[in-house]
Amino acid sequence: MSETLDVFHLQEILAEIWRLKSNVATFNLIVFIDDPTRRAWIHERALRIAEKHPSRLIILDACDASGKVRVCASELYLSVGKLDANAVATLTRELSAPDVPNVLWWSSECLIENDLFGVLIEHCDRVVMDSSGACNDESTLRRLLCFVQPIKPLRDLAWMRLTPWREMIAQFFDDPEMHVDLSSLATLEITSGSTAEALYLAGWLASRLDWTPEDECTFRAADGSRVSLKKIDEGEKRRVVRVALATKDSRYVAQLSDDENVVELSIEGPKSRPRRLVPLKNIDNASLIEQAILTDANDEAFDASLHILRELLP
Amino acid sequence: MNGVNPLRTGLAHNRISEPCNIVFFGASGDLAKRMLLPALYNLRLNDVLPTNFGIIGFSRTKRSDDEYRAEVKKAVDAFSRSGEARDPLWTDFANRVSYVSGDFADTQAFQRLKTRLDEHDATLETGGNRLFYLSTPPTVFAKIVQQLDAVGLGPKEAKNGWTRIVIEKPFGTDPQSARELQAAVSKVFDEHAIYRIDHYLGKEPVQDIMALRFANVIFEPIWNRRYIDSVRITAAETLGIEGRGSYYESTGALRDMIQNHVMNLLALVAMEPPVSAHADSIRDEKFKVLSALRPISVDLVDKVTARGQYGPGLIDGKPVVGYREEENVDPNSSTETYAAVKFLIDNWRWAGVPFYVRSGKRLARKNSEIVIRFLQIPHRLFGETGDQIEQNTLIMKIQPEEGLSLRFNAKVPGPKMHIRSVSMDFNYGSGFGVVTAPAYERLISDAMRGDATLFTRWDAVETAWNAIGPILERWHNQAPDDFPNYLAGSQGPLSSDAMLVAEGHAWRKL
Repeated sequence: MSETLDVFHLQEILAEIWRLKSNVATFNLIVFIDDPTRRAWIHERALRIAEKHPSRLIILDACDASGKVRVCASELYLSVGKLDANAVATLTRELSAPDVPNVLWWSSECLIENDLFGVLIEHCDRVVMDSSGACNDESTLRRLLCFVQPIKPLRDLAWMRLTPWREMIAQFFDDPEMHVDLSSLATLEITSGSTAEALYLAGWLASRLDWTPEDECTFRAADGSRVSLKKIDEGEKRRVVRVALATKDSRYVAQLSDDENVVELSIEGPKSRPRRLVPLKNIDNASLIEQAILTDANDEAFDASLHILRELLP
Repeated sequence: MNGVNPLRTGLAHNRISEPCNIVFFGASGDLAKRMLLPALYNLRLNDVLPTNFGIIGFSRTKRSDDEYRAEVKKAVDAFSRSGEARDPLWTDFANRVSYVSGDFADTQAFQRLKTRLDEHDATLETGGNRLFYLSTPPTVFAKIVQQLDAVGLGPKEAKNGWTRIVIEKPFGTDPQSARELQAAVSKVFDEHAIYRIDHYLGKEPVQDIMALRFANVIFEPIWNRRYIDSVRITAAETLGIEGRGSYYESTGALRDMIQNHVMNLLALVAMEPPVSAHADSIRDEKFKVLSALRPISVDLVDKVTARGQYGPGLIDGKPVVGYREEENVDPNSSTETYAAVKFLIDNWRWAGVPFYVRSGKRLARKNSEIVIRFLQIPHRLFGETGDQIEQNTLIMKIQPEEGLSLRFNAKVPGPKMHIRSVSMDFNYGSGFGVVTAPAYERLISDAMRGDATLFTRWDAVETAWNAIGPILERWHNQAPDDFPNYLAGSQGPLSSDAMLVAEGHAWRKL
């Protein structure tokens, strides 16, 4: 099966697995790591999740080519740096607890470039990744979109981070007086530290408002009018700074205040309203990952946004 | 666009949409400082409050708006689960807070309140919607309602918007006084505008009782006399009366806890499935099951109840005084700090199943729970000699732990068929990875939304009073001769244990 994992190692693993059989696992958490700078954080986080939610944790460490295997309680730590994708996938399947969901936390930016991703997602019921993890451009997102079919139960942390912003933008238009402006929006401007978040926000708005992408900077609304999209790269990585939507007369702006946990909502123009402060419920990465792993419901808004992005980013 | 905000699809809509003012009577009181004001601030932090809202404190103490704001900040800093209030949200919140001082008997003060509410409507765009929150001693509930009516702040005079009233427990002190209070309140407010608050109902595990019963298929078929041996409800505290001697002397454990919190728990456990999740469907079922409680005649009271009063003892290894040594307590007081009652429910589901309830102060451990004990297995197949095959129990933990625990029997690994009871636990915090919000946050926001599901309707309040009326009468007429009869920090009076043991049952150790 491999050059680095010899029979002894496999026997050792299997013996441990038999010993582990009495441990309860409600899911298999399979974690792929290929970035040595983030290895410790990811490992620590995975351990904490596995400790909190009974699961079998299988760490696939591609930074390490030693072929070593460590078994500790319900954790299997495999150094898979030198193994080919099929061997790792087979090993993962063999070592997973049976009859429970398999959750893959793919912490790498490489998707299509890594055969293992394509093979492992076949085995998994849920995939967690972050398309603005280590990079702040759209590269990971573009790689993700290369998969012709949506990766079914995918949780992208870049999308999940947007929930409070989506709520704030929706708030503008709860008022029936503002609601009518949704059909006459002409510009969308998003300032953020990572492109993935900006694109997801644009994709979400387009999918909800029936806009069709014309090119990377323009949507066509249902009535044939054009909506221009401007992305401004500014601010901390993985954080949205400002979202502005405008019609011919009105301007709706949600912008981080001096306190980065508070957003100012303002409406300018004939329908202007007093400035409103809204707490920004930023969820830390660790909690997002946990939420992503534990949520099994389909997210139709995400699927629809991803569909728009396929057209927006050819 | 068809009027529905398409951006809302797939998003939780937690924010209350209708603007409103909330007026706290008893704004300087302990409840307002510890619970209500921090709860409101947290609702603001979580963006649950409406865009336009105002808060007015009303109490006797004279102080300016700014002084009151400073007091609110102090309360938030000390008691909010989110830590100290911080700008810019605090300033935004504080600008919506004002204060009116006055005596509850002073109609002029209520006129000033009316003027202030009108100002808030104009400046804060609160739209004439008003929520009056009575966190005062119950003796002034009726007076406040009369004054609101006198100055035209009742719902019938409202030109626009809604007017609701939240009333803290206890709603009356006995069946008669409860009826009198209801008469006074209902003269001004319709039942649908009255929110009788019982903060226990806002606790997540209490709400989970219905989810457990009606969102699962495995429990309801066995939730009856054919499978359940007994139900035991405990609301135990380690705290004493915390300086509220005058209040507690006229209240006692039966009125303070059993009549409201515990009876509500009993109703949720025992009620039939409601036809819908609508507030009145649920409250109909709660009323029905409380109506089926077998009346306890005065001459039966001693057999089906136990009462106690704590003497000096140790709590967490520290000495504490007995009840009679507490401030503002009669040194010969016969007020009970512990009450236990056995109820029976005369309907098809529960005929013959005892519901034992108890509540007490200064007990060994803070613990509120409901224990459902199932019947013994009909025929013993397994277990070596000496093995005890325990009856299955389902424990719903309400506080301080929040979750569920199911105890069942399993084979001990090994060549012999030894059987031992094991436990399967679910904990809210780790199960959902969230910190549950305090009950008051949920209940205040529900009242602002107009959702009365978690508030008690008058018919249930009256029925609960009727159920304990004979006990109050007997205990009033028959002074206890053994008080104090349990040590602070103990399991409670022996008479309570004896009541259950006589029937082959036992309380779970605290």
